[in-house]
Parts: sequence; structure tokens; C-alpha cells
Amino acid sequence: MIQQLLICMAATVSFAILFTAPRKELIFCGLTGAVGWFVYLSCLNGGAGKPVANLAASFALTVLSRIIASLRKNPVTVYLIAGIFPLVPGAGIYYMSYYFIMNKMDLCSASGMETIKVAGAIVLGIIFGFSLPQTWFNALSRPIRR
Amino acid sequence: MAVTKEILALAVEMGDALLRNGAEVYRVEDTVMHILDAYEIENYDVYVLSNGIFASANEDRDDACSMVRHVPLGRTHLGRIAALNELSREICAHDCSLQDAWVHLDDCRTIPYNHNLIQCLFCGIGSAGFGYLYGGNVSDTLCAFLIGMLLQILLLFLARRKASKFITNIFGSAGVTLLALFFYSLWKTLQYDKIIIGSIMPLVPGIALTTSIRDFFNGDYLSGAIHMIDAVLTAFCIAVGVGAVITIYRSTLDIGGVFL
Repeated sequence: MIQQLLICMAATVSFAILFTAPRKELIFCGLTGAVGWFVYLSCLNGGAGKPVANLAASFALTVLSRIIASLRKNPVTVYLIAGIFPLVPGAGIYYMSYYFIMNKMDLCSASGMETIKVAGAIVLGIIFGFSLPQTWFNALSRPIRR
Repeated sequence: MAVTKEILALAVEMGDALLRNGAEVYRVEDTVMHILDAYEIENYDVYVLSNGIFASANEDRDDACSMVRHVPLGRTHLGRIAALNELSREICAHDCSLQDAWVHLDDCRTIPYNHNLIQCLFCGIGSAGFGYLYGGNVSDTLCAFLIGMLLQILLLFLARRKASKFITNIFGSAGVTLLALFFYSLWKTLQYDKIIIGSIMPLVPGIALTTSIRDFFNGDYLSGAIHMIDAVLTAFCIAVGVGAVITIYRSTLDIGGVFL
């Protein structure tokens, strides 16, 4: 588990570097990615389905990004974009096209549906995360501004 | 009075720079309006799309002016977004004269990308990491690392040739699949699906998806739709690239195993 989280962190940080995130923020980008993956794995271990796990993970990720963004006074985008990558259904896209080519239409539609469900879950998670009022997060950045 | 025009130009140029480097529409609109407010322009209207900015100021007066910018969807540069955000904070706190703001803006706009070698290295590490997370073992991870580096070289090359997004994604994912199958044909113990999944991660439209959702959430449906279409088309191109190569591989196997 810890090994997974460390690797997830490394992978997220590398992607943050690809998108030229500011150097001081890289560690926080990695942190959001690792926390998202941690929530995702815990949900899967707890018996939740993939969409639910993705929903919980992207929600946690969004809230954490907003907290860090307020603390560090940077745009949320910086933390959110890198952190979301472990959840994005790249595997789903691959398996869908693979089964399509293999003419296994039942598996193809199953993985296609799952990809769409996962993407939808991520969407909902981010939306829930952003619907928390900004004033809660503003309270975080105030003491530092002084 | 040319002052209104100068202020509007600054605000719109900043919005342009933000949008070009991948900020979401709401942030761009907000920044432009805040800057206009900070320089005490009262009558203004700003309309931002994911690939354009329309703004006007003081329409009912003599110094009325308006500006239109076309901003193509570009590469994301989070560092520039953060720097521009900092600059707009300074402007709003009235710490920054108009001339200084222009200088700072030019500084922000020219923050370089990381060196190509660094990009390649970290693209490899990222691919390897995701290959591992999705169930690859150590040898798969090493392959993904190699392929990820080669992928970034290919992407940089295509970017220099100004290839379209479709071509980039199709060739990128096709190249990844081809290399993965090549390694697989050398060492049969590799799980080529894990390698491919890891190495297509740099192409997967995570940013477009996230930005699109945020645009929708902020009520910018048109921009959200533009980004969503971008995400879906990118995913489709990846599927086409992967699918095409696997099809060819399968059919050569059927004919007589040219690959083996």
C-alpha cells in the first residue's frame, strides 16, 4: 500500500513537471495525487465498486486541492490537474479498443460502460468538491495573508 | 484618452496569456474584471470562451474601446498560470503601476518550459509509475519507462512540426502500442497491456476533462462543451491508434508471424 502511494506520488509529480508546475508546488501536487489514490484504494478494499471509489477519490482530491490552493495562494488548477491523472480512465479506453478489435463485443461494451461510469463519477466528485462554499476555504488563507 | 485603451489591453492580454496556458474560463473572466476594477474602469463587459476573449470598456463615453482575441487551445503551463495569478493579486492590491504590470506580464509569459531532456525523463517516470499502479510488474514498469521517454521525444518532434492534435494522439498511441508489442515479441513474459496503459497516460485527456467539468460547473456551458468534445475526441484518437496497431499485429500473426 505504502509502496503504491509512493509510486503514485512519483508519477503525479512527474506529470506535474510535464505541465511545468512551479517547482515549489510539486510536492503538493504529488500529495494530492497520493491522497486521491489512497482514497480510491481504500474504497476498493472496502468493497465499493470502481465508480464509487472514483467518486470518493475525486471528491477528496478536489477538496484537498482547494485547501492547499487557499493555503499556498495559488490557482486550484495547479494541484487538481496533476492529482486527477491517476484516476482518469486510461485503462478503460485501452481495454475498450482492445476488445473492440478482438471482436469481443460483450467485453467491449462492458469496459466502455465502465469507462463512461468512471468518467461520470469523476465529474460528480469534482462538482461535489467545488460546491462547498468558497468562504470555508477563504478562512484558511486569511491568517497567512496578515 | 488612451489610458482606457491601455488598461483594457493589459487586462485582455493577461486573460489571453491565462487562457493560452490552460486556465479555466471562470478564472480568466474573473482576472480580467478584477484588473479593470483595480484601474477604476467602471463600465465594462467581458465575455470569455475557451478559445476567445471579447471585452469592451467605457462604451458610453468618448474613450470607448473594445477588443477581441482569438486564443487557440494550447499546451498547459501551470507555472505561468500561477505567476499570472500572483501578478493579478498584486495589481488588485494596487501594488503595481500600469508600466510595471506590462513588464511583469512579459516576464510571466516567457517562463520557459522545462528542458526537453527533463520532460522526456519525467514522462518516462510518470508512464512507469502508472504502469505499475495498474498492475504491471518490475519488467513491465521498466519497459513503460523506456516507452514513455520515447513517446515524449515523439511528441516534442510532432509539436515542432506543428502536427494537429489528432495526428499527435493517433501517432503517439500507435507508437506506444508498436513499441510495447515489439518488447513483448522479444520477451514473452511481459504483460503488454499494462505497458500500453502506463505509457498512454501522458496522452489521456485528464486536463481537458477536468477543465470541462469546471467550466460546466461555473455555468460556462459553451466552453465546457468545447473542452468536453476535445476530451472525447482525444480519447477516440487514442483508441484508434492502439486499435490499429493491435489489428495489424493480430493479422500478421494470422498470416505467418512476421513479427516473431
